[in-house]
Amino acid sequence: MEETGKKGTVTSLASMFPVEEALKGAKRVQETIYEKEKDLGHLQDFVAENSNLVNLVKKLPEELNHDIMVPFGKAAFFPGRLIHTNEFLVLLGEGYYVERTSKQTIEILKRRENSLESQVDSLEAMIKDLKAKASFFDTMASEAAEGLVEIREDYVEENSSGWESKPVPTKQNASIFPEAENERVVDDEEYARMISRLDELENEELAAEKEDESDKNEKDTAQLNEISYQKELDYDLRDSENFRSKKSLEQTSGESNATAAFPNKHNDQEDLTDDVNYIGLVVESSSRDEPSEQKKLENNMKILKSSDKSILPREVKENVQAASTSRSEVQLQSSKPAFDSHKAFTGSIVEHTENLQTSKENSTSSQVSSIQPSKPVSRFKMQRK
Amino acid sequence: MSSSTALRELQRELETKANDLSKVQKDIAKNHQVRKKYTIQLGENELVLKELDLLKEDANVYKLIGPVLVKQDLAEANANVRKRIEYISAELKRLDATLQDMEEKQNSKKETILKLQQRMQSLQAGKAKA
Repeated sequence: MEETGKKGTVTSLASMFPVEEALKGAKRVQETIYEKEKDLGHLQDFVAENSNLVNLVKKLPEELNHDIMVPFGKAAFFPGRLIHTNEFLVLLGEGYYVERTSKQTIEILKRRENSLESQVDSLEAMIKDLKAKASFFDTMASEAAEGLVEIREDYVEENSSGWESKPVPTKQNASIFPEAENERVVDDEEYARMISRLDELENEELAAEKEDESDKNEKDTAQLNEISYQKELDYDLRDSENFRSKKSLEQTSGESNATAAFPNKHNDQEDLTDDVNYIGLVVESSSRDEPSEQKKLENNMKILKSSDKSILPREVKENVQAASTSRSEVQLQSSKPAFDSHKAFTGSIVEHTENLQTSKENSTSSQVSSIQPSKPVSRFKMQRK
Repeated sequence: MSSSTALRELQRELETKANDLSKVQKDIAKNHQVRKKYTIQLGENELVLKELDLLKEDANVYKLIGPVLVKQDLAEANANVRKRIEYISAELKRLDATLQDMEEKQNSKKETILKLQQRMQSLQAGKAKA
């Protein structure tokens, strides 16, 4: 299928973002946050004052007059009385005053409150944004200080356990490589095209299968199926064991798992061809007309297909995500026929579920915690299918 | 001998350039402050205009002039505020233009200073070798 020599690159995060720089950035963002929060405090004071004023203005016209102490100079008060309690002189700004009633004044004050609220909202949004930025800087600084490395590797098909070891804190990836974002969009289109093609093939396959299955021997095929499954499972177990030992080896050596993936891939391939044989047998050996068997087989097909679906997109997605270099795009192209063959013999895919689960367990357990598991994006994209 | 005098000359030039640069930077800072003030005033005036538009014809409008409130016609007040907004907008535009101008000046000054520093360094290196 495709060639794997060396794949992926390992770059230390610290070389891309010096720790001091990140810390400096974090500090600057913190300062701006502090300033904005001060502004926000002022604004909230204004809002509170405004609402107090609204309450007062509401209350004043309830009485015809109020007995008050009138301030006289700085320290002195004299008793007085408020009359005309429904007349307000409202400062609009810029030295303009207007005579208003209590109700009208409240309207003005409400409008002011609204504008204040919108200002508060925008400030809060800004602060939230800045906080996200600050935490980003912080995590980046700490990660760079820890000596975290960024591992980028191209997805290699048939390596069903490769995808968990996808490294890289995604957020950084996204922000650092905006061009990768674009590429992803392009790849999405390609993915859609691929999937539609696969569906086409699947339909063709189904139709052909129906015709074939119109004559089937019940017991024969059932047994054969059984056997083939057993075989597959055996293969799987061996497979994952192989993989496990290789994985640990590779962990210690600190290399990317390309080496482990390669032989594993070959095993898979063997698996596949074996399966092909079995299925071929099934189809060939079928001779009698048995509707119940047909149904059974169809059921089988369905199950296989569903498991197939859950895996395939993931694999494809991985491929797409890994494809941030033009080289891997070429790979994507070349891997197309491989998927087709998968589709043609859907039975063969079953082992992937098995394989996936076991290898997932062992790879996650052996993985160091500093490397984050699969990207959140892939999960989302998985659901799309 | 000649290199040291050249160096001194360069140093003097650098100093004057640096002074110019700091002056321009001060101007830019001032410009920023003025602009901030004007933007605040613009916002306030727009608020006033909105409120004035909401008033009925017979509303009493006063303007605070010094210590006294002077009664004003609503239409007159409205026109005044509009004129003020226009003026402030024009002023803001003007400030923007000057700011751009000054930033360009600042950049060119920075460049010349950088060049001067490089020349001084090369001279010094040559001197050290000699």
